Amino acid sequence: MIAIDHLTKRYGTVTAIGDLSFKVGPGRITGFLGPNGAGKTTTLRILLGLATPTSGTATINGVRYRDLPHPARTVGAALDNDCFHPGRTAIEHLKTLATAAGISRRRPGQVLDMVGLTEAARRRVGGFSLGMRQRLTLAAALLGDPGVLIMDEPLNGLDPDGIRWMRDLLSHLAGEGRTVLVSSHLLAEAAQTVQDVVVINRGRLAAEGPVAELAAATTTTRIRTPDTQPLVSALARQRITPQLLTPGTVEIRGADPDRVARIAAAAGVTVLELTRHAENLEELFFDLTSDHADDRA
Amino acid sequence: MTTIIRLTRAELRKLVASRTFLIGLTLSAGVSVISVAVDAAVAGKNSTAALGTAASTNQMLKLGSVCCVAMLVLGIIGSGSEYRHKTIIPAVLVAPRRGALVAAKVIGIAVAGVVLSVLTFGLGLATVAAELSAHHIHRLPADTGTLFAGSVIAGTLFGVIGVALGYITRSTIAAAVGAVGWVLFAELAILHTLAPHLAKWLVTGAAATLTDPGVLASRALTPATAVAVLSGYTVLLLAVASRLVLRRDVP
Repeated sequence: MIAIDHLTKRYGTVTAIGDLSFKVGPGRITGFLGPNGAGKTTTLRILLGLATPTSGTATINGVRYRDLPHPARTVGAALDNDCFHPGRTAIEHLKTLATAAGISRRRPGQVLDMVGLTEAARRRVGGFSLGMRQRLTLAAALLGDPGVLIMDEPLNGLDPDGIRWMRDLLSHLAGEGRTVLVSSHLLAEAAQTVQDVVVINRGRLAAEGPVAELAAATTTTRIRTPDTQPLVSALARQRITPQLLTPGTVEIRGADPDRVARIAAAAGVTVLELTRHAENLEELFFDLTSDHADDRA
Repeated sequence: MTTIIRLTRAELRKLVASRTFLIGLTLSAGVSVISVAVDAAVAGKNSTAALGTAASTNQMLKLGSVCCVAMLVLGIIGSGSEYRHKTIIPAVLVAPRRGALVAAKVIGIAVAGVVLSVLTFGLGLATVAAELSAHHIHRLPADTGTLFAGSVIAGTLFGVIGVALGYITRSTIAAAVGAVGWVLFAELAILHTLAPHLAKWLVTGAAATLTDPGVLASRALTPATAVAVLSGYTVLLLAVASRLVLRRDVP
């Protein structure tokens, strides 16, 4: 379990993260989404002890990262796909980390096999493609067979096969009961990978929860009717606030379309057309992180 | 196995696997042998001291400076390149309590310093003995043992100073420029000129006592005092570096 509790990070007068709180549970892939500069990487860096928060806490299984008895065996982190000495071979890079973490000598070979880099094990990392570096970064994160995986933009640099492979691997790892937190700006890809999302904007929480629930909450129902006023009154009595788009069109946001239809029928309203529109992750993201989102909040 | 032992083993693994250390070792030993051979070749010519004289032998035995420069550079690369190649990130993830990380780096570079300095001075000394022997001179100066030990100690401490500078600046280039700037301008150009009586207490002064046969013979400082002075600077820089590594965010 990852818990971010009232986390704030300021750089001088700039607030990178402001009073951010959310939780990430095991057994699911959680997407950590937000526009550039939203504070995703800063949050992950604080969570991993690379940066110090101004206030608040970030814990893994109830403990700060630096206080974990065996950090590499508890958390696998893939933050940057360029953290290698270019002159070292892939296997040497992993063996050095394994030695430092007290992990078995056989494990580097095993994780290289898991990420499909066995044949490149003795090649110098300086000659690796972006996709190969991404796989090596993941191999390093998996060295300690950790129960928590934290990955910053793991889909970057991967070709379609690589993205599919990564998606399957993450699903497999989450299926084993691990906590998987993945930041990404590739929303279409993330939509196919994650089950839960945490969306932040300007360092603050915009939304969190299962993708399906969030999408349902932002579902819009549009009704074309000649009886606009009776419909608006009937909905208002049920504490639903519709928006009048045109004299003959009403839009209701967040309400169950079936319920809206029943309310209309009970009020004797003639419905010429009822359409529902469920947002996908990309639309949801833009909806939550647009400038107007702050105004609505 | 304790964290510090694991991290030290990882540091030694990096050194062995890295071409940088092997290149540094080869260059250092090569420069030492070549400098002795050149000194021997020019001895007695163009008003230089003749081979076999104390001045000529002293000139040939100035091998400690090679150890110091080589280890300073290797120390700077050892810590500075962790930031350059961002390997500091996985290193801190494995050892979030960063004090152990710094300690392991210092131990690793100290081991490298001993190996490099012993090989550099040893090969240079063997070349000196061979050159003298070729001219039927079979006696080395009485201070040779002290010089050998002093060069190994100075080389090792310079390696640690390099590590500290790399951690402080988080850049190999900035650390190298800073070190050269301090030695050439702050110490040699300014302080040695303005306050020559202080020279022996500076980094270069203390190092010269340990590595330069002429300065050692002058007894400006005893070798033990020179070691203490150089160790003092090393500890001071290391304390600053450790504090910064512990407190600063990892970039």
